Amino acid sequence: MGCRRARRWGRVADHVVCTASDIAPGERRIVDVAGRSIGVFNVGGRFYALHNGCPHKGGALCAGRVTGTVLPTTERTFAYGRVGEILRCSRHGWEFEITTGRALADARVRARTYPVSVEAGQVVVTV
Amino acid sequence: MYADTREVALIDCDVHNSWTSADVLLPYLPPAFREYVERGELPGGRGSFPAAHRPWLHPEDFFRTDATPPGGGPAGSDLGFMREQLLDRYAIDHAILNGEEAIEVSTLANPHYAQALARAYNDWVREEWLLHDERLLASLVVAPQDPAGAAAEIRRLGGEPRFAQVLVSSGAQRPYGDPFYHPIWDACAEVGLPFAVHLGGNAGVNAPPTGCGPPTFFWEAHALLCETGMGHVASTIAHGVFERWPGARLVLIECGIAWLPPILWRLDEDYRALRKETPWLRRLPSEYAHDHVRLTTQPLEQPHDAAALWPALADVGARDMLMFASDYPHWDFDDPVFVRLPPDWRQPVLDANARSLYGLPARAAVGTRG
Repeated sequence: MGCRRARRWGRVADHVVCTASDIAPGERRIVDVAGRSIGVFNVGGRFYALHNGCPHKGGALCAGRVTGTVLPTTERTFAYGRVGEILRCSRHGWEFEITTGRALADARVRARTYPVSVEAGQVVVTV
Repeated sequence: MYADTREVALIDCDVHNSWTSADVLLPYLPPAFREYVERGELPGGRGSFPAAHRPWLHPEDFFRTDATPPGGGPAGSDLGFMREQLLDRYAIDHAILNGEEAIEVSTLANPHYAQALARAYNDWVREEWLLHDERLLASLVVAPQDPAGAAAEIRRLGGEPRFAQVLVSSGAQRPYGDPFYHPIWDACAEVGLPFAVHLGGNAGVNAPPTGCGPPTFFWEAHALLCETGMGHVASTIAHGVFERWPGARLVLIECGIAWLPPILWRLDEDYRALRKETPWLRRLPSEYAHDHVRLTTQPLEQPHDAAALWPALADVGARDMLMFASDYPHWDFDDPVFVRLPPDWRQPVLDANARSLYGLPARAAVGTRG
């Protein structure tokens, strides 16, 4: 891991956290970046980064299970989908969209997300 | 990691110690009942605990997924990991162990088998937990459907200082003030232990936990199981338990707290009109509750405005009645760092109320321990 630009107080900086091949689709890696614990997820070949502190009560969000979920419906049906897109906090089990950080049961609650890019095969998180 | 930043000592009144298999109880069971576990039918196969299971199955399992010990086994089964994740992490002075499934003995129809299992659990927790960390206290589990046997168990072990209270499930055949249970209250008074009721036991021979028929879903049921706590508070007050045994204390664990003020207001008002039904009472129900009932905070209700929780509780004097609990390692764990209490409630709720109830010595100097 290394900073490509000098980090200055109050400014964001890009951090190389690993190579893209280190995190296979469906996998995650929890990294320390600029003093923060951040989960980097590969969802279907795209990378996403979430703060590893749950907005609910601070649990280790990114250590939770990556699952699918039961899709919203107006009927008494239980269609399962979005496999691999949902992160369930290790502490209390709240469900979050990995791609947006949004809590499924309460749209007002969001996990902090960080921009991620892949540059020359390196996963770069902007913190 | 928070040890240096906390301003008050901390007592955790609800911690769940588990086992890798209920077979750990075999050495502690008398031969007559050891056979039941070795050869008899078990609800979940080899190693499962002989009890009826509640009809609401947690769809994600009951535990924090980050509480599984690195060395394997169920959450709560490894004292070393419990130290790391709870006792040391939050610099907890004392933690009260309430077992994982032991209180479910209340669901069994056979009171003799149920009491034998409770006795075996108590001996197991004494040998395998209390001896290994001086911060731990344990609840003495009894099978309330066998009041005489429960009283005998209380007299057998209740005098040991590391047993902090007698413990039963909130699911019961009848509310705990009923004279059916008075042998238990009598034994508690004799050994000087509080009588604690933990959420659970909502199956088997016990009464339905809600009055209008069973809820359907786990979260729906879990939110409503506090109703059993209301029934036990009303019953113990109405039957005069706190008049007959002035030192008696009822502790409600994981039964919620936000309902307490309105229930006490309703009890007071109805008692004022119909005092003649219970002429053995000399005070208002809310006055008995203030002096004799204690409630643990987890899972602390979460109003939209966090401050909205406290004015009604203050009205019934709950600052003197509440005791912090985390419920480690369960799925609805309350983190002591994130629990939001009014500033002048922190010391009584996190420390002093439990310290006083359980007769624990004052912490010598806050923040000086390693």
